[in-house]
Amino acid sequence: MALVLKTTKFVESQIDTFLDVVSDSALLFQLGMEDYLAERNHQFEERLNLIRENERKADDLRVAIERYLYERTLIPENRGDVLAILENTDEVVDNIKDTLMQFSIEMPVIPRDLDDLWMQTTRSSVAAVEQLVYAVRSFFRDLSAVNNYIHKVYFFEREADHIGEKLRRQIFGLQIDLALKSQLRWFALHIEQISDFAQAVCDRLSIYTIKRQL
Amino acid sequence: MIFVFLISGLFIGWSLGANDTGNIFGAAVATRMIRFKQAALIAAIFISLGAVIEGSGPSATLGRLGSVDALGGAFTVALAAAMAILVIVRLGIPVSISQTIVGALIGWNFFAGRLTDVNWLLTIASSWVTAFVVSAGVAALLFYVFRVWINNSKRHLLEQDMLVRYSLVFFGAIGAYFLGANNIANAVGVFVPVTPFKDLPIGSLFVVSGVQQLYIVGAGSLVLGIYTFSRRVMGTVGKDLFQLSPVTALVALLAETIVLFLFTSRALQRVLLLLGVPPIPLVPISSTQVMVGAVIGIGLAKGGKNIRYNVLGKVSLAWVAAPAMAFLFAFVALFVTQNVFELQVNRPLYYTVDKAAVLEIERRGIDSKNLAFVNLRSFDTERSLYKELVLDDAYDPKTAKEIVHICEKHPLLVNLELLKKRGLDRRLNEQQLAALERLDERKFQRKWKFHQALAEDESWQLREPPQSQADKDFNAGIQGDLDILYSVFYNPPEDKR
Repeated sequence: MALVLKTTKFVESQIDTFLDVVSDSALLFQLGMEDYLAERNHQFEERLNLIRENERKADDLRVAIERYLYERTLIPENRGDVLAILENTDEVVDNIKDTLMQFSIEMPVIPRDLDDLWMQTTRSSVAAVEQLVYAVRSFFRDLSAVNNYIHKVYFFEREADHIGEKLRRQIFGLQIDLALKSQLRWFALHIEQISDFAQAVCDRLSIYTIKRQL
Repeated sequence: MIFVFLISGLFIGWSLGANDTGNIFGAAVATRMIRFKQAALIAAIFISLGAVIEGSGPSATLGRLGSVDALGGAFTVALAAAMAILVIVRLGIPVSISQTIVGALIGWNFFAGRLTDVNWLLTIASSWVTAFVVSAGVAALLFYVFRVWINNSKRHLLEQDMLVRYSLVFFGAIGAYFLGANNIANAVGVFVPVTPFKDLPIGSLFVVSGVQQLYIVGAGSLVLGIYTFSRRVMGTVGKDLFQLSPVTALVALLAETIVLFLFTSRALQRVLLLLGVPPIPLVPISSTQVMVGAVIGIGLAKGGKNIRYNVLGKVSLAWVAAPAMAFLFAFVALFVTQNVFELQVNRPLYYTVDKAAVLEIERRGIDSKNLAFVNLRSFDTERSLYKELVLDDAYDPKTAKEIVHICEKHPLLVNLELLKKRGLDRRLNEQQLAALERLDERKFQRKWKFHQALAEDESWQLREPPQSQADKDFNAGIQGDLDILYSVFYNPPEDKR
């Protein structure tokens, strides 16, 4: 009994750590974006390195949790659902890392006029991820609160789409090279996509929540 | 030879172990909350404990319905019940062994010309329906409680899972205990009056009675059933039939355990009596039907969708079809056993309305005027005399039964040596033995005459009328001892009449 309780507590802490990593990565992405726009390149690279490290940590944690759940046959009924949630949430971190790494590789030149909308889109996407983390935590600890957070994720995803569209319209309204326009659009879409990934996790989460409820 | 007879009972025990354990642990094993090995071990331990410690309550009830007094009869009754189970299960109807046993016992009563206690038959039959309905009600209630708990709990999913897992083990163990207690009567209950085992002293501390040894052997057959066949049944019950989640499996298990407890616990019966509440009869009920009832209860609590209502039809069909088929099988099998294999299926008792009987009838304050048409006549069966007595409402059924009991000729030869040889003297206290010794070698033609002779000693006197539950328990103890003496001292006459 004591051993099982210990294992259960350990897996619980692993899941909490995994979600902390996801939340940290989203916040680092926002800070990294601010650094990039303010041209604090050294600090930006530091943030990117931290996100890379987080992405590796999230992968390791996810695999460890999966192994524990299967080896100790914990939550046999919900195991598949929990693993799907963790894998999809992990993809959000992957997406954050890929996007920021692409900035580091291509170093797109972002005109100052776009800074405000650029950050607004970023903040909406990050907020969607943060609400996703709340929703996933609630799935484990407080089922009745899950739908509330899922609703917020959907809200921020729509907000990111809405501001992202404005951003893309403004990009193509600028008097710059078409190649640069095209590059900036690609980056703007990638930032929006972070919230799309968060929404995709929530789509599954809402079904799993119904399944868990009696 | 005796042990060959017992095989039919052990066959029932085996199928109980295989089927009914599936009802308790099926969903838990199928949802992988418990491994089969763990479930089998827990079930084996607790079914055996329940059978040996508390198995006598429901057995006594079945005993009241029909006391099969010959090994050949007990064997045939158990075999007929097992055959009926095989046929009905093949038809895909959830059935209980207790239902076929009851049918087979009535078949024996009918064949041997004995009277069936209709009140007890109705009590048993109504308890099947009651158990099913109570199970559905308890499950629905528990479901609402669990719904509030699960949907509002702030406990982590993993902790919740652990709690459900341990609850499944804990309540599964309790369920197995009550299953053993409630259903052992089905396996070896009919052999209780003819137990082949002698009392076994363990050191000088305590004695394992012949009946308890019978239960241990029965429990062994249940355990064999668990290990040889229940794995497959668990898979079917847990997934194909009900499709329960671990939490709803726990709800169903709790409901089943509660219902088994209600119909098995002698302690609860005493508490209810103390409170002045009518007690719940201790009868063997069907764990399969209780489980189906629980699942239907959960389905109703969920809004009534997805319920397979045809299961309800099948269950109600089983209430009638199972005993009816077992009755028919038993009747035919008893006929074959008696006439083809020439085995005795019941003791050849007869009933004579002679001077001694009439005097006793009058002594008990019963009007003997209506006995004129049966006076000095002998009857082969209880039923033939009973029919004459109730003809034209000469006597009411209760009085008629008492007269039948008085007229029963049951030749006895007190043989203390035989009692000691079988180790049954340990059941009696010194004063009772001393009273018996005074009657050694004496012959009696009727049970009540023997008891009257014994009752000259205070240690054999019944507390009439009983003032309390303690008095009733005391009388039941004396009656149990007397039944054993009647069986041991039975001295069949050379010539029947």
